[in-house]
Amino acid sequence: MSPPRALVIWCPDWPVTAVGLDAATPGAVVSGARVEACSAAARAAGVRRGQRVRDAQRHCPELALRDRDPDAEGRLFESVAVAVSGVTPWVEVVRPGVCAIPVHGAARYHGGGACGTAADEEALRIHVQDTVVEHGFDCGAGIADGLFAAELAARAGEGGVVVPADGTPAFLAPYPVSVLDRPELAGLLTRLGIRTLGAFAALPVRDVTGRFGADEIRAHRLARGLYPRPPAPRAPLADLSVTTEFDPPAAAAEQVIFAAKTLAERLHEALAAEALTCVRLGVEVIGADGRTLARLWRHDGALSALAVAERVRWQLSSWETAPDQSGQEGGVALLRLLPDQLVADDGHQEALWGGATVSDQIARAAARVQAMLGHQAITRPHPAGGRGPGERVVRVPFGDLPPARAAEGPWPGRVPDPPPSAVHPEPLPVAVTDAAGAPVLINERMAVSAPPHQIEVAGRRLPVTAWTGPWPARERWWDPAGARRRARFQVIAGDGEAHLLVFEAGRWHVEAGYA
Amino acid sequence: MSTLSAQVTEGFPTLSRAALVPVLPVLRAVVPAGGLRPGTVTAVEGSPALALALTAGLGDRWCAVVGLPEVHVAAAAAMGGDDGGLDPARVLLVDDPGRRWADVVAALTDGCALVLTRPPDRPAPPVVRRLTALARRAGCALVVAGPWEAADLRLRVEESRWSGLGAGTGHLRGRRALVVSSGRGAAGPGRRVWLWLPGPDGSVALVKRTAEETAEETGAAATPLTVAG
Repeated sequence: MSPPRALVIWCPDWPVTAVGLDAATPGAVVSGARVEACSAAARAAGVRRGQRVRDAQRHCPELALRDRDPDAEGRLFESVAVAVSGVTPWVEVVRPGVCAIPVHGAARYHGGGACGTAADEEALRIHVQDTVVEHGFDCGAGIADGLFAAELAARAGEGGVVVPADGTPAFLAPYPVSVLDRPELAGLLTRLGIRTLGAFAALPVRDVTGRFGADEIRAHRLARGLYPRPPAPRAPLADLSVTTEFDPPAAAAEQVIFAAKTLAERLHEALAAEALTCVRLGVEVIGADGRTLARLWRHDGALSALAVAERVRWQLSSWETAPDQSGQEGGVALLRLLPDQLVADDGHQEALWGGATVSDQIARAAARVQAMLGHQAITRPHPAGGRGPGERVVRVPFGDLPPARAAEGPWPGRVPDPPPSAVHPEPLPVAVTDAAGAPVLINERMAVSAPPHQIEVAGRRLPVTAWTGPWPARERWWDPAGARRRARFQVIAGDGEAHLLVFEAGRWHVEAGYA
Repeated sequence: MSTLSAQVTEGFPTLSRAALVPVLPVLRAVVPAGGLRPGTVTAVEGSPALALALTAGLGDRWCAVVGLPEVHVAAAAAMGGDDGGLDPARVLLVDDPGRRWADVVAALTDGCALVLTRPPDRPAPPVVRRLTALARRAGCALVVAGPWEAADLRLRVEESRWSGLGAGTGHLRGRRALVVSSGRGAAGPGRRVWLWLPGPDGSVALVKRTAEETAEETGAAATPLTVAG
């Protein structure tokens, strides 16, 4: 059985668009020291995904670099989803940058011809593409059997193609196995001499099932142009949707997001009891003024409670900025989660709170604090890399995943141990003067103008009894906007306390204290 | 009567003998019971490092830090030396509790063995009683960084000297600090101990002073050395 026809809208280089770089300027979004995505102009200059930033800059010296911002990607994509929802209300966001609508019905309506012909589908494809482009976003649109093939169709040709009905396996056959987005499997298949989806699809199902796990079987089904998972064998008996009503209506987004997390946990419990997992989730937000905002969210694995809360946050961001809005009062009256596509759970459920150290008791205490002060208010420290003491610990909101940044690696210019006991969240301004009363300055070559003699912090003047430095730190020198040049000093003041001072752009600050 | 009192305390196991919240072995010299009693308040004034040192012996228990955005967890993690100090994976931070300070601390006493905090202003006596009662029941010790009138134990650094730094040379290697305890829970007029706070590797250790150094510090009027258990 082949999956229903789907139309996929694909916005190229979405991470780049989301940070405000347009396709004509060479720009790239980096994570760690590697390129995650780049603009069309950068690609023309030889920049590629996965490249090291230094290599990318060698190809394209004027490359503008930005950090990846997944939150902005989700928020901005809401505008695309809103544009598409003008064509059909059944918009399904696969991930920021890609959304889908069912073809059946929409093609007939917008094509105006007889039942679902190829001409109707082409008319629908052009119509949707034009709608999104009119809203100011470049995109490709493609139609094929199932999401996987439709996304490839959206990327094919100039702005996408329509793959004729029953033509999907033939359309997929020439693609390399790497499009399955499973690098390990792709590597293995290539070594076995299976380089294209066609060759992979030609393997007998029995042999694939016998040799690989559940995930590879899904990949095989994709390659054959089938549903990645067989549809749930039976319709769910009970209504599994979960609802929270807000009385009085919730005015703060945080409150709704927090409720969404709890709601998602309840949904997971209900689904787990039925041994099901949900790959598409409907989120419905109803305002006190009767406005309804419904959106479908697609996810490869099971959506964790946290991922659900994140999607509700994105959805609410468009609610707050919706143009046809008559006054902010009202707020959100109801939030409903509808598990939309259910498949049998084959054991890929994610742990809710990541890491086994968090007991229920701690999770409960943290949830109570989050209910009082918001999701961001309670954090957990994670070790990170950096030269300054403040950079060596990042604070991640409780329940969020820690950043995947390497903690080790040489950090030239790092201040040696022992670490300070207090790092000021906002560095305190300090005046450092020499014996003659003139300000102490550091020049380009990190030479100190005169030994520091006295410091003045918050009106207190203290003599300097001992000092050392500088530890020079040149950070992000490749990025003109983010480049920083700093010099750190340790001083002992007359009251016996030790401080870590930092000199940057002609000014001194107290960065940390050792008291 | 004694049997009755035994029955009563058996009914409330937390009243009879609550498990102490452990501290680093080197701090036992100034923390008389060898640990912090749940529901009591320890006030540490003027030294964030000393307040952090109290969290470094928690082992696999959880710790919460409320209203102290400047606290550097990495310092506490290094304080245990080879035995491992505070485990950053078991720390909860609430930088800005605002006006909900008491509610936040109350929520966190349930689950955390130690809450390190600085109240935004002087809390009212009923609030204090509620917090200490909740903490006692949950087996949690409170450490206040700053003044606290009804503290059971007060710790402060009376004197300290850094080593390793010259005039433009070297780097901070360690600080010898004279830690003094006082208050109701201190058992006696106050104990004092010289500690490395922190030592060269960031750990807290007992200062083993050579005769030379003692002679050098004669200005400090020969403070008696307490032997730590």
